[in-house]
Amino acid sequence: MESTGTTPAEESTTTKGRGRRPNPHVAQFLRTFYYLRRNGLAMFGLAVILILVGIALYALTTPIPTQSLAFYCATNGQPNCVPGTNICTYPQGVTAPGPNCYQTPVGGGGVSSYPSIIAPTFDLAHFTGGPLPLGSLTVDPTHTGFFNLYDGLLRGSDWSLIISLSIVLSGAAIGAIVGAVAGTFGGLIDEVLMRLVDIFLSIPAILFVIVIIAVLQVLPGFTSFDARIGLLVIGFVLVWWPFYARIVRGQVLVVREQKYVEAARACGAGKGRIIMRHILPNSIYPVFIQVSLDVGTIPLFVGTLVFLGFAVIPTTIGSGIFPEWGSITATSVGPLIGLLTTCQFGQCIVPWWQFFFPGFALFMFAISVNFLSDGLRDALDPRLRR
Amino acid sequence: MQMWVYIVRRALLLIPIIIGVMTITFILITALPTGIRCVSYFPIPRSGDIGPTGPCPGNPSQSNCPNPWWTHCVSVLGLNTPVPVQWATYMEHSLTFNWGTVNLNSYLSQHSQYSFMAGEPVTTALAQVLPYTLELATISLLLILVVSIPLGNLSAANRNRPIDQASRVMSFSGYALAPFLLGSLLLMAFVILIGASNGWHSLTCPASPTYLEFYKSWPAQQCFPGGNYPSWISNGVATTPTGFPTVDAAYHGQWVIAADTLIRLILPAFVIAYGSIAGLLRYVRNSMLEVMNLDFVRTARAKGVPESVVINRHAGRNSLNVTITVLGLTFATFISGFPVTEDVFGLTGVGRLLALSIDIPFDYGVIFGSVLLFTYLVVAANIIVDVLYAYLDPRVRLG
Repeated sequence: MESTGTTPAEESTTTKGRGRRPNPHVAQFLRTFYYLRRNGLAMFGLAVILILVGIALYALTTPIPTQSLAFYCATNGQPNCVPGTNICTYPQGVTAPGPNCYQTPVGGGGVSSYPSIIAPTFDLAHFTGGPLPLGSLTVDPTHTGFFNLYDGLLRGSDWSLIISLSIVLSGAAIGAIVGAVAGTFGGLIDEVLMRLVDIFLSIPAILFVIVIIAVLQVLPGFTSFDARIGLLVIGFVLVWWPFYARIVRGQVLVVREQKYVEAARACGAGKGRIIMRHILPNSIYPVFIQVSLDVGTIPLFVGTLVFLGFAVIPTTIGSGIFPEWGSITATSVGPLIGLLTTCQFGQCIVPWWQFFFPGFALFMFAISVNFLSDGLRDALDPRLRR
Repeated sequence: MQMWVYIVRRALLLIPIIIGVMTITFILITALPTGIRCVSYFPIPRSGDIGPTGPCPGNPSQSNCPNPWWTHCVSVLGLNTPVPVQWATYMEHSLTFNWGTVNLNSYLSQHSQYSFMAGEPVTTALAQVLPYTLELATISLLLILVVSIPLGNLSAANRNRPIDQASRVMSFSGYALAPFLLGSLLLMAFVILIGASNGWHSLTCPASPTYLEFYKSWPAQQCFPGGNYPSWISNGVATTPTGFPTVDAAYHGQWVIAADTLIRLILPAFVIAYGSIAGLLRYVRNSMLEVMNLDFVRTARAKGVPESVVINRHAGRNSLNVTITVLGLTFATFISGFPVTEDVFGLTGVGRLLALSIDIPFDYGVIFGSVLLFTYLVVAANIIVDVLYAYLDPRVRLG
């Protein structure tokens, strides 16, 4: 079909007779997808995102033992977990408690089904890597035990998606309404709302989130895990809506001058109807692109907050690690630098898989989303098509 | 319109933005309980009583007398006045740089490197560390311009060739790599690869046998001959005459230390710049592509001007104003990279101060102060960008 050079939508309207016209929404979708398909990077991004969404759905539907995220005590080189024994990451062979040798909590729960940790020595001359560490236990950065990295990543897929989707969709909804109102009514309303947006946007986003969360966490009721997640979402939404408001307003200013809006007004349509039925649907696609971009960015910002040691952001859930990709990455990469600084050159154990796999998942998610949204921008905007 | 008239006009537009930002911080700060506000505004009394009531002066066994510290705080901040009056009081404090004091009980004050700031006014503390951040910002801005403009021009000139695709992927990876991850990875790679081979050690530090000493030598102040700070550095912060570590070292004639400090700033500056390079690269490329289709470029080519001159002089200069505009727009994102990067590399700037002040117990004075400071930096940078834009494009100031 694509070899003829016409889009599926054009083809179906030109050659398949005039009797059965396809649904215009379907035709629009097919046309967009036709242009999208010619963009290799976008298709790559789409494939990765579909895989990740599949993983997230699998994680949602598969009962993952929550205890596999709990911090287990385990011993270095011993298959069985014996509470009260020492776990040492450096130096090798040392078993006495010390700076990098800590005792497993007594009563921390003994699990024998997990293999012991195999820590590769990061010696460039003699790199002895362990087996692929997904499925094996990983050192918990807070040095209280181990959790299962594979299960953590699996669980994290839906946590990351849910958190960033709820932030971005609420922010986009608020921003779209504010932007549409400002753009449609114009005048004083527009002036006031847009100055408000300017003010919000002049505060660097991540710092604004920090201030908002730091203040709100003082209020009573923000102590439980759920409330902390809610706090995170609220903080981000309060900071993110102006981006969408500005985009929508700019688009609305263009759309409201179109003939069909004038026609609707001439037919006697009310302002609300014009905004909701005519202006918003036609000015929403840049928001769609921005939303897809931000979905990939939010986990990075969550990770940044965790990395900064912002204690309000949850890093643990119950007795286990909070499986959010950004959070896992940040909690594992931070202490590594400290761990590194305490060893002799060439003899250090660097548990690289701790941050590599969650970090890689984070990176792939964000970059795929970027590829896809770039492709969407090209496909949805006729002027940018090559 | 004269240039200075334009500048003044543009600066006047600042006023509503600054008032708005301060109003937002006022709304947030009023959400805090009185005790926390007082602790972040006034040094804790020697008795340690920070509640509304304390022991009575005449009879220490009774503890329900009004605490003079608390009463003083409430009256100075106007906490018992109507909200508009409180707002006016807050604005007055903000504008007169009365931003509170560093809380004695906060994590920041107990941090060994920053304990000297405990009880100091927030503005003094910020002023001590601001030069480091400004120096870092200057180097990252230079890096952004030096990397993104030539690379953008190059990928526009080689549109859809491998170099264009590579720069596209690089620009996408800039969005997808969080500064904390990039910074940690680079630092670890640097420490492991360079440190393990033991082939590189800094200009001022001796060859170090452990990673710790190697890592510790990142903030250049921590590694001086003999382990002693030079006289112009106190508590790890350069003090005389300008506060800029590199400039100060050069002023004192310590060229080796100056060069060393500069070298150490390049990696953090790159981490901060990377995200902005990614954003800027594509705009530079696209605006170059637009300009290269214009008539005067064709004319220049028809005259037989060499292609490199066409790209760098004719097209490059005309695509510069888009670059400047986008640079101004991404400045808020750029600033967001500072807390994390300074934290990773242990640099004594405003970002590190913020990163430490959000460790429990929080230091609200420093949190609000540093966020306000960063916001003013963004606003000021936007004005500079606008003025530059007006300078580069006379239509803006004349039209």
